[in-house]
Amino acid sequence: MTCAEFQRVLPYIIDTGGNAEQEQHLRECAVCADLVADLKYIADQAKLLVPMEDPSPRVWEGLQKSLEREGLVKSAPARRALLGLPLRDWGWVAAGAAAVVLLAGIFFTRSTTSADQPKTTVAMESTATGPSNAEDQQILDTVAQLSPDVRDSYRQGLRDVNSYIQDAERSVKENPDDQSARQFLMQAYQQKAMLYQMATRSSE
Amino acid sequence: METWNQRAKLAVAVLFGFATLIASAQTRKDMKFNVGPGASLTITDDFGPVTVHTAAGSQILATATLHPDQMEIDQTHSGSRVELFTHALQQRPAGGGARVEFDVTVPPDCAVTIHSSSGPISIEKLRGDVNADGENANIDVRDVGNGHVHLRTLRGTVTLANVTNGHVEITSVSGPVTMSNVGGPNVEVNTTNGKISYTGMFSNNGDYAFTTHSGDIEVFLPENASIDISARSVNGKVEQDFPFQPKQHNPFPVTTGRAFAGTSNSGSSGVQLRSFSGTIRVKKQ
Repeated sequence: MTCAEFQRVLPYIIDTGGNAEQEQHLRECAVCADLVADLKYIADQAKLLVPMEDPSPRVWEGLQKSLEREGLVKSAPARRALLGLPLRDWGWVAAGAAAVVLLAGIFFTRSTTSADQPKTTVAMESTATGPSNAEDQQILDTVAQLSPDVRDSYRQGLRDVNSYIQDAERSVKENPDDQSARQFLMQAYQQKAMLYQMATRSSE
Repeated sequence: METWNQRAKLAVAVLFGFATLIASAQTRKDMKFNVGPGASLTITDDFGPVTVHTAAGSQILATATLHPDQMEIDQTHSGSRVELFTHALQQRPAGGGARVEFDVTVPPDCAVTIHSSSGPISIEKLRGDVNADGENANIDVRDVGNGHVHLRTLRGTVTLANVTNGHVEITSVSGPVTMSNVGGPNVEVNTTNGKISYTGMFSNNGDYAFTTHSGDIEVFLPENASIDISARSVNGKVEQDFPFQPKQHNPFPVTTGRAFAGTSNSGSSGVQLRSFSGTIRVKKQ
């Protein structure tokens, strides 16, 4: 089993533990083992967030669509099963988006095998354009009630960080073996995750 | 008749003056909390400055200056944990009414978390964990140690001085980060386009990583600095006039003007400087 095949079924492996072949790959491949460990860590940390109220169906659908676009989950009928996490309030939207941003960063920075490269490039490009715009708009909507100068900081911050992500993605694409380029990309995603987290805090 | 008119005008002016004074009247609210060792304080104040000092003892003393008719402070005190949260009583407080200033004194080992959108946030002499964030808040932290120092802002300035044994994480989107004599096992600074400046000594066995997208990085080193440094700007410039010894093995291709790696003295601290398109300067102090 190759890393690409393994990562294609990753969401299901995290939920179910995977079959014998997948478990064997996990034991033998340090890169995939680290990736699974990171995903589980993020899921565990997210569980620590205090649940409050049920979200509206619109919130759930928006988040589900974002994750589907990222390729992290497929359409699922279950309403409350996102990596085993309950979905409760508006804070979860931004928290989930921040997790998606980090997960995307981990995916892009961890993909090292040449077989994975074309797939990675497609995913990176889609993250830099469509989905991130929708998520950014969600964040701007979340901070809409804050003072104009704070709103402006978020608008400008998102613009700057998106530019950072695009430059870093281009650099990884051009120099896939450059560890520094991957570090830049990870830092860029962390900046975006910080924006999402601060927006969540300020809107509470 | 004219005299009566003048008196009436004077009376109106005096009444208006009183009304203005009453409207702008601020009140001091003093709060006192008894706490034990390892206390924690969280302040959420999106309406003004927060200043934190320390004093020996087992009390948290907080003074808030506010317009009581427009702003309110919610308090939670459970064991050694204290939370103060400001909120407006009206949806749109009038003019300067939307302002709450905090001045707080805590025991030195207290863990402090401050959220303030506008800031400024000022914290000094703590020996516990420090967490501070604010979208536009200028953050100034000095003379702290033995704890985690996590500072986050979108476009405020961050100043960090005289840290001993700190685990430091600073994240800023566009605000500049200025540090001097920050010591500890781990010091990490990330900005998107904020400038990063460091002056002074690096601690023994410390691991320093400064990363920015388009901001500049400036490091001013004393002659006796003991560091193992690598600096790289992908699309920008790297300048240095410090007498480093070149390294045999480098983590990246060393291109003149774009990257360098070297050591000084025993190289006891690791220093990584990374900018995507900014200029990196390493200078002798």
